[in-house]
Amino acid sequence: MWETIIVNPFTNALLMIYKLIGGNFGIAIILFTILIRLITHPLMASQIKGSTKMQEMQSSKEWLEIQKKNKDDKEKLAQEQMKYYKEIGYNPLSSCLPSLIQIPLIFGLYQSITRAMAASPIQLLTLTRTVYSFIPVGNLVPLNSKFLWMNLGQPERIYVLGYAIPLLAIIVAITTYVQSKVTMPATTNPNDQGAMMGKMMALYMPLLLGYFALTFASGLSVYFITGNLIGIAQYALLGKVNWKALIPGQKPATALATRKK
Amino acid sequence: MKNKFIILIGLLLAMTLILSGCAAGLTASSWPGVTADAKNAYLSGGSYVYAVNLQTGAQVWRYPDKASANPFDATPALTSDGQLIVGGFDKKLYSLNPQTGQSIWQFTEAHDRWIGGALVTDKMIYAPNADYNLYALNLQGKLQWTFQADQSIWGVPVSDGTNVYFGTLGSKVYAVNAQSGKQVWMDKVDGAVLGSPVLGTDSTLYVGTYGGTIYAMNSSNGAAKSLTTTEKTTANWIWSGPTLNANSLYFGDGNGSLYAYPVGGTGQPWKQSLNGAIIGTPLVTTDTIVIGTEAGNVYYVDKTGKSPRPIAVAGKIYSSPVAAGSLVLIAPTGGTATLVALDQSGTVKWSFIPAK
Repeated sequence: MWETIIVNPFTNALLMIYKLIGGNFGIAIILFTILIRLITHPLMASQIKGSTKMQEMQSSKEWLEIQKKNKDDKEKLAQEQMKYYKEIGYNPLSSCLPSLIQIPLIFGLYQSITRAMAASPIQLLTLTRTVYSFIPVGNLVPLNSKFLWMNLGQPERIYVLGYAIPLLAIIVAITTYVQSKVTMPATTNPNDQGAMMGKMMALYMPLLLGYFALTFASGLSVYFITGNLIGIAQYALLGKVNWKALIPGQKPATALATRKK
Repeated sequence: MKNKFIILIGLLLAMTLILSGCAAGLTASSWPGVTADAKNAYLSGGSYVYAVNLQTGAQVWRYPDKASANPFDATPALTSDGQLIVGGFDKKLYSLNPQTGQSIWQFTEAHDRWIGGALVTDKMIYAPNADYNLYALNLQGKLQWTFQADQSIWGVPVSDGTNVYFGTLGSKVYAVNAQSGKQVWMDKVDGAVLGSPVLGTDSTLYVGTYGGTIYAMNSSNGAAKSLTTTEKTTANWIWSGPTLNANSLYFGDGNGSLYAYPVGGTGQPWKQSLNGAIIGTPLVTTDTIVIGTEAGNVYYVDKTGKSPRPIAVAGKIYSSPVAAGSLVLIAPTGGTATLVALDQSGTVKWSFIPAK
C-alpha cells in the first residue's frame, strides 16, 4: 500500500524528471521538491490562514473570557474552547495538518531517493521491479549520483585540512531555523501554548533535520534545503514572512501590528 | 504543556527511528556470495562471513564476533598463500585466515562499498569498489596502484596475466595493464555491466549487460567481434556474466530464460524458459547446467537445454551456484538456510542455518 501510493510513484516521478533534464539527479530532486510544494501549496495556504485565525481568536475578548472563567476546570475549558471553535467556524487541525502531511512525504522521498540511487544489487533489483514499463530503465540506471561536490546516495562531508565538515547538514539546520523563525506567527498572548510549541519546534526541528542530513543520503538534504527555501518563498508570496524575527530581541512586527488594531 | 512537550519529543524520536528503519531496511537484505576450498565453504552474506564444513554443513567459524551493521555482499576469494579476501559495506577489505577466521590485515583506503568480489592471482589482489576504483594490492594488503573508472564496479574482474578486464555500471568495459594499472583500452556497451566478463581461449572477452546483450570483444583492443544482434540480444537484462564451457556460452536473463550460444564448434543455440528471473551465472558440470532463480528453484538442465529439473529451495536465489567437490552450493536469500549443499542429482545433502 505504502509502496504503491507513495514510494513507487515518487521513484518513477524522480526518474522521469531525471530523464527529461538529461541525467542530473540533484536537479531532479530540486524540481521534484518544487513539484511537491506546488501540489501541497493549498494546504500550506490553509495552514497560514488557520494560524492567523487562531491568533486573532486568541486575542479576542470572548476567548480570554473563556480562559479566565474556566481556568480551574481543564475539562470544562476544553469543552468551551471546542464550542467556541464551532461558533466561529475554526478547525483546530487546519494549522497543524499541513505540517503532518510533510512527514510521510519526507519518508517517501527518502525511500525513493535511496531506491533510485540503487547503491547495492538488492536496491537495483528492487528499482528494476519498481519502474513503470514505459520508462526505459535499462538506459537510465545507474543514475548519476554526483551533484556539485556530493554523492547523493551517501551522507555528505567536505574535507578541510583533513577534517570532515558536514556542510550540507549545517545548511539544513540553518535554513530550517530561519524558516521556523521567519514564518512563526506572532502572538500577543504570553500564555499562547501554540506559540510556545512553535518556539520549541524552531529549536528542535533544525537539530533533528540537521541530524538526518548528517546521517542519511545527501539527496535528502537537497530536499530539505530546497523545501525550506521554497517554504520561505511561499510565506513571502503570501506576505507572511517576518524577517525581523531573526534579529535577537526584536519584537515581531506582526505582533505589533495586531496590537495596533 | 509538559504533556505536549513529551508528545513532541516522542514524535520527533519516532520520526528518527522510522527514517533510520528505512535506511536499515535497504541494507539488511543480503546478496550472498560463496567460494570453497577442499575443506570448507566460505559464505559472505548479511552481517557475517561464515566458514562451513563441506562434509557436515556445520559452522567452523564466523567473522566478526558481533554482527556487523554493514553487510558483506562481495563474494569471498581465496589466495594461494592461505588468505580469504572479502570486502564489506563498511568500505573495508578484509584478509581473514580461512582456518580460524582471524583477521590478517584490513585495507581501508576505499571510499565506498565493496560489492564485487576480488580477483586473486599468484601475487596480486585486484579488488573492484563502488567508488569507481579498481584497487591492486599485493598479498600483504599493500596498495600497488589504483585505476579510476567511469562508474562503480560490481563484477569480479578477469585477467589473462597481461591485462585485467572488467565492466562498470557506466556501461563501459575496460582493459587495464595488470602491472602498471594503466588503461589499455575502453569500450562502450549498451547497458551497465553488473557481472563478470569471461575470457575465451582465443582471447575473446564475453560480457553480459543490463541492456540484455552479450558482447564478444577482442581482448587486445576491445573491438567487437561478430555475434549477430538476434543471437546476442535477450528479451530482458543480463545480470551476471556468462559462463563459457566447451565453446558454448551459457547465461540467463530477467525473464527467466536460460540461453546457450555456441561461439565455436558445431553446437546449436537453445533457449529454455525457467520459473523466475535468473540473476547468477550458470554452473556447468560434466553434463549438466545448474542455475538458481529468484522464484527459489534450482534447475538442473542437460546440455541440450532439455529436461529442466526444478529443486525447490526456501528463499530467493541471487547468487551463482558453486561447485565444491561433488557438491553444488546454493546460497539463498530470505530463507531459513543461508547455504544449501546439493549433490549431482539435486538431492539436498545438508543445509546451513546460522545460529542467531
